[in-house]
Amino acid sequence: MTKAFFNNVPAPSELVRLFSPRNFCIYSLASVGLAFSVHAQQPPSPQIKSQSQPDAIVSEQNSMLADDDNNALADVYPYALTEKPQSATDWMLKMSAAVRTLNFEVSFVVSRLNQETVPFLWRHGVLNDGTSVEQLNLQNGPGRELIRFGDVVSIFEPDAPPYSLQSKYINGPIPSELLYDPMSLVKGYDFVSVGRARVAGRPAQQLRVVSRDNTRFSYQLWLDQQSGMLLKMNTLDLQGNVLEQIQVSSFEIHQQAPEYFAKVNRDSLPAALALHSAANRAQNWEVDYLPSGMVEVKQDIRRLAVTGQVVEYKLFSDGLVDVSVYVQPAADAIGSDLVLRHELSTFLSLTDGKAQVTVIGEIPLQTANAIATSLKLKDDNGD
Amino acid sequence: MTQQQEKLSAFMDGETDSAEIMEAILNDEELKAKWQRYHVIRSGLRKEATVAPEMDITAAVAAALDSEPTVMAPKRSGWKSLPLIGNVVPFAKQSGQFAVAASVAVAVILGVQQMNQPEPTEPFSTFETPGRIGGLSPVSLEQTRTLPRNDMSVVLEKKRKINAIIADHEQQIQLKQAEDQSNEVDQEARSNVNPD
Repeated sequence: MTKAFFNNVPAPSELVRLFSPRNFCIYSLASVGLAFSVHAQQPPSPQIKSQSQPDAIVSEQNSMLADDDNNALADVYPYALTEKPQSATDWMLKMSAAVRTLNFEVSFVVSRLNQETVPFLWRHGVLNDGTSVEQLNLQNGPGRELIRFGDVVSIFEPDAPPYSLQSKYINGPIPSELLYDPMSLVKGYDFVSVGRARVAGRPAQQLRVVSRDNTRFSYQLWLDQQSGMLLKMNTLDLQGNVLEQIQVSSFEIHQQAPEYFAKVNRDSLPAALALHSAANRAQNWEVDYLPSGMVEVKQDIRRLAVTGQVVEYKLFSDGLVDVSVYVQPAADAIGSDLVLRHELSTFLSLTDGKAQVTVIGEIPLQTANAIATSLKLKDDNGD
Repeated sequence: MTQQQEKLSAFMDGETDSAEIMEAILNDEELKAKWQRYHVIRSGLRKEATVAPEMDITAAVAAALDSEPTVMAPKRSGWKSLPLIGNVVPFAKQSGQFAVAASVAVAVILGVQQMNQPEPTEPFSTFETPGRIGGLSPVSLEQTRTLPRNDMSVVLEKKRKINAIIADHEQQIQLKQAEDQSNEVDQEARSNVNPD
């Protein structure tokens, strides 16, 4: 059914425009002035070369630029998406609307320093009954597949029986709060509009997401000018070095949900596990220092799955990053002060004779250290 | 000096083996450094990566730590009064000089464990030695096996504990959202009976 649609029904409107010369000419001419006035302040890009010879412009980019002013897409994009964002916040909202409402297929790769590049396929669609469906597939090796129907995410991993969780979002390499609820981040982060650039062959708007107190990693985002889709995302440390890069290599936007979802038998997906945080036993320590916008989201006492060690645990989050704090008896713990970097996470363990505090999360070492050393007893003002 | 450089160069190429130049290299820091650099250059030219330029990773990491801006944290007043912790070494004194060198090695090993892979439950598997067929004497085999293993067990146990925490942290992040939503669903179900 959906397959037939793809083969017979007119291709997505941007393709139609690309290959119909008359319309195209008008759009590209109109866009030259626009494109040029903006790009004049940008570093040289292939588009600029074309300014002196407008007739020769047969570039996909310029036709895409013109789409901002184009009503022909109104049937593909919800109204909010065709508006032209003014501020960085508007851009974030546009991106958020795009990932929630568009039918798309995106390929992207995640690269980290000294590590293999990891490719992902990401599909999203809204079914006829309004259900939002999403798939994230790890493309290398034995793979990993996450499928979301509505607010149940099913996880298929090698060497583990499939299971499902209640969740409105798939927890992938791109932080879900950033995608779906950017406004929840404003307590801790500033959104800054940087300028335009070209990413994945598309004109893009560049933004920065910077923590207000400069205690966390910062992010650079490139959003598709036309659709608002995320095209590229860099995670930077405090010195501005790139820690992680997410780069979209291709993306398609369709009028209907990708046909993949029609093939998924929803009844065969595992039922969602009901997870409940155990009744909290109050702990007698607290963290005195937290970066701005970060709050405690969970605390408990439990055993680690791998070693069976008992730990007192607190989880903090500012929406973008999650930080875990573990306290355990030193005799049972790692044994020495230790700091290391695991992927983007900083792992910091501080020990004295009797207790060990471990802070782990995607934060700079100095911040982890500040959190670890700010631990203090509740209800005890002994200083 | 230039004469010594020539001699050094000749010595490297095996064209001379005078004790004089060896003595000179031993006593002269500059010549020593040159000796090192010449080897690096030569192996670079030959595209052998056998001689790596001597880099002090520890120093570089420590320098990077020092250059990170200090976070203005509130006074660590209550920390000392934790009854669990008797003699607290002020942590501030230690920051910047953590066990960096050791952790570099650990981080490399952890780097293998990627997000898409299942948690390695058996970190020792790396040290399996393939059975040799004939050739080596059992005595030497015995020695090479036992010595590093005794040494490694402590280190590996430590890594296992680190892995346990990292795995737990990642699991908590994965489950965070699900728990919230499960609780929400529960509350909804309690307030209004609403089958899907």
